Amino acid sequence: MDALLQPTQEAFHLLLTGDTDLWTIIGISFRVSLKAILFATPFALLLAFLLAYVSFPGRRLLLSVFETLMALPAVVVGLLIYLLLSRNGPLGDLRLLFTQTAMVIGQIVLCFPLLVAMGYAAIRSADRRAWETALTLGAGRPRAMLTLIHEVRLGLLVAVIAGFGRIISEIGTSMMVGGNIAGHTRNIPTAIALETSKGHFAEGIALGIVLVTLAFGLNLILNLLQHREAQAA
Amino acid sequence: MNNDARLCISRLEKYYNERHVLSIGRLALVPGRIVHLTGRNGAGKTTLLKILAGLESPDHCDVLLDRCSRPWRAVRQQLRRNVVYLHQHPYMFDNTVADNLGYGLRVTGVPRARRRQAVAMMLERMELEHAAQRNARTLSGGEQQRLALGRAWLLQPRVLLLDEPTANMDTGFRQQTWTLLQEMLSDALAIMVSSHELSESECPDCLNLHLQDGRLNAAPPSLHLVGQERSRPQEVLGVKP
Repeated sequence: MDALLQPTQEAFHLLLTGDTDLWTIIGISFRVSLKAILFATPFALLLAFLLAYVSFPGRRLLLSVFETLMALPAVVVGLLIYLLLSRNGPLGDLRLLFTQTAMVIGQIVLCFPLLVAMGYAAIRSADRRAWETALTLGAGRPRAMLTLIHEVRLGLLVAVIAGFGRIISEIGTSMMVGGNIAGHTRNIPTAIALETSKGHFAEGIALGIVLVTLAFGLNLILNLLQHREAQAA
Repeated sequence: MNNDARLCISRLEKYYNERHVLSIGRLALVPGRIVHLTGRNGAGKTTLLKILAGLESPDHCDVLLDRCSRPWRAVRQQLRRNVVYLHQHPYMFDNTVADNLGYGLRVTGVPRARRRQAVAMMLERMELEHAAQRNARTLSGGEQQRLALGRAWLLQPRVLLLDEPTANMDTGFRQQTWTLLQEMLSDALAIMVSSHELSESECPDCLNLHLQDGRLNAAPPSLHLVGQERSRPQEVLGVKP
């Protein structure tokens, strides 16, 4: 029991005393994942809207592709981006491998399909009359789209939170394209793996606590939002 | 005769998967008049109204607007600007009553001060001042309808189309709707109201048209006994009496 208890006590100590290394790692995790989600969301929602409201050839196929990509393993995304960004790869000249930018790219690829698929479901759930009412009251298509997004904002927020949950805790892509460089590309999941392999359980547990607390908080928000939506309906 | 028509369409054809749902030679909406469009459920009333409002595309249709006849596709935006369509159950944006009323003015770029003034006036007119800051979805059915009418009226459209506004409503609400429509009617506004019920007693001055098998006819004789002299549907349909 001591094997778990002692490192856990140390973990809390590390967290509460504001251990610099630990909080640097946490900061990198949040910076990378927030950038990825902020960059991916507008494009993903625009695409979700087009899939839901514009009929074009291949629409169904494209949707199936995104639904399939939701389950894409992070290591596979890591491998593909590694190949693209490595010295001999097509984008090698950009010198992005083992940078935070590479991690951001990887996480965008990971959360994009999920944002599209869940965004599509949320936009489809909107009342068709909302779109028609906006148009007949003089809104242009872009304006009507913003109105529609406002009408289903809770569902879209659920999608964004789910997307963030997926990338903040993923390890495969970050490890492969970030390289786990201390103070630079070492984020929470890669640090946990490393510290554990070195036998530094306290750091691993401290970071684990941060992730679990975050996951719990996000799920709590999701539940509250869905509850509110159910009540409003 | 119909040069002053607010909106006139001709040769309207609409198919749904090979099925010919609408075939209308001519239809003119005249300012100051309410056209009462009857027809069974599924007769194509909603489709016709949505085409007139620029919301659903026909397979063929010429539109005469501002004395210039053009294909429907070329005037779709103009239709949306000049025609307001009201759903049977009007959609309330997830916002306050005041925001819902001002929606059309906001998206068409009316300055805030003028918008506020107009919304305040319409709140009073529609007897909704007490609910201005409430979420529109908490209003009763009758209040929502008043809000939807006010929201459309504020835009000063040339044509107002109402899709079965009185269906599933008790007599009081129906009367309220008709009274409001009569108030709104002016030299600048043409109104068309659809209904699947064949009663016209609520609107004796209306011009009655009947949609059957995708074709528009003057309402059967039994239906426009009251308004026969006044309403001359032939003019509207472009048929020589």
